[in-house]
Amino acid sequence: MPRDIEMQTENVKPILSVRNLSIWYGDKQVLRDLSFEVKQGQVTAFIGPTNSGKSTLVRCLNRLNDFTPNFRATGDILFRGVAMGAASDATALRKQIGMVFRKPIPFRGSIYENVAYGAQISGNNASTHLDTIVEENLRKTGLWSEVENILGETPEQLSIGQQQLLCIARALAVEPEILIFDEPCGELDPIETVKIETLVRELTEDYTLIFATNKRRQAARVSDVAGFLYCGELIEFGATEKIFTNPQDDRTEQYVTGRLG
Amino acid sequence: MNAMMTRALRKQERVSQCITFIILGSVGIPIWNVLQKTYAADTEAASAATPLNTLSPPLDNLYTVLSISFVAILFGIACAFYLQEWLPQTNWVRRFIESIVAILGGVPSIFYGILATGIFFSYAGTLKTIGVVRAPQGPGDGAALESLSFPHDTPVFYIVVLTFILMVMPLTIKTTQAALRSVATPIREAAYALGASHWQVLKTQVIPIALTQILAAGCRAMSSALATVALIFGIYVWQYTDAPGEMSNRFVLFLSSALLFSIFSSILIKLCTSASADPAHPTR
Repeated sequence: MPRDIEMQTENVKPILSVRNLSIWYGDKQVLRDLSFEVKQGQVTAFIGPTNSGKSTLVRCLNRLNDFTPNFRATGDILFRGVAMGAASDATALRKQIGMVFRKPIPFRGSIYENVAYGAQISGNNASTHLDTIVEENLRKTGLWSEVENILGETPEQLSIGQQQLLCIARALAVEPEILIFDEPCGELDPIETVKIETLVRELTEDYTLIFATNKRRQAARVSDVAGFLYCGELIEFGATEKIFTNPQDDRTEQYVTGRLG
Repeated sequence: MNAMMTRALRKQERVSQCITFIILGSVGIPIWNVLQKTYAADTEAASAATPLNTLSPPLDNLYTVLSISFVAILFGIACAFYLQEWLPQTNWVRRFIESIVAILGGVPSIFYGILATGIFFSYAGTLKTIGVVRAPQGPGDGAALESLSFPHDTPVFYIVVLTFILMVMPLTIKTTQAALRSVATPIREAAYALGASHWQVLKTQVIPIALTQILAAGCRAMSSALATVALIFGIYVWQYTDAPGEMSNRFVLFLSSALLFSIFSSILIKLCTSASADPAHPTR
């Protein structure tokens, strides 16, 4: 597989570098001195038990934590070599780094309006252009055939899995470079989970993906690179195969074998 | 990162926030003036035609009720948006105003009536001499003031306005803030994650969801204020004016138009809510 070769080559350009990132909520430190790099075109997964800081970490990467009260961070996050934060434009950044949440959150309005939302807020209002965007992105997620005839209706009648696919289509319509998944299958049944996982594998051709999950096997199935977070520390970060078959740290081994967490 | 945000940027943001707030707040005053002028012109023309004279007192009162409530509620909503959406929770201005609102909102509305009759009436003369309450200047001005539903030589009209604003504002601020808070954070975050700016999130997600609640909040504040204040004033005027018969008549009209307005608005709200309240679309 070409992707494996790419993974092994060390000189793939990092799209996102995190250096010495520490995060506090008030006085409570949630993440301790994290440093890692996300390479372009790979799936990077973060595994770890509940409350290990996975969500906090991935929410930092597109600055969603800015809205959290008492949030404080030190360290640098570099997107394409440019530090985010300081004077950078968070709105523009979030257009390049999209996010899919644990629970599907369809907006008010029709399925069509949901997918077109990103384009509309960017000032793209030509209806022919919007039609193309909606169809293209629904096709990418494989939802097009199911919703083709009910585009004008509300997304509430879709199943939870379909709603999650709709949310992915909505995030893709903004044309991001990186897409963050924060436990996207947390509320889904096994069949729908398989759909999402298959989609994630397909999306790696065009996007860089970051995946936070507390399901070990899921991380093993979808990711190229994995990081194990435990109590706010990045215990181990490396190729998924290595993390799951030959972990360096005791705690990682205990976690992947199911003795911890 | 929050901590890394430069000071200059923050200052810039503060200034722009202040300007927006002042613009929003001052919008009400010109509207009020324009309405008053058109109204004065209208009544002058109307008083010339004899058959319309009989219609004017109820219309007077309805006009007063509508315009006061419009200005007070608009200002209250603007205040609530500013507090809830732009000021951080730890800001001292926000905490200060919120505590005042909480106290004023908890005061039974009858005390506002007592306050109005007690304080504002006693100090009406002083208010007039220092120029807060305007004395009529010249015949034209006097006519314009006289055409209002309350006689210009008693500052009842201004007292009604002041009491109204004092009473309607805290209730409106409190309930509008609650309506804005009821829009769940995940919806906002989902919109932010798609690259929407603060204004776009407000415009496309928050306001559509909270709108009916905000309108209902305004009407609720209105109704409670009207009921008590009008009653207290009715009693006062019936007791103390030189021409009790005529005045109580006017206040009965004031009260009834207020009642009419609150019934009408609550029906309107009910209709709006049932039309937009999609069972599949709860206000998460």
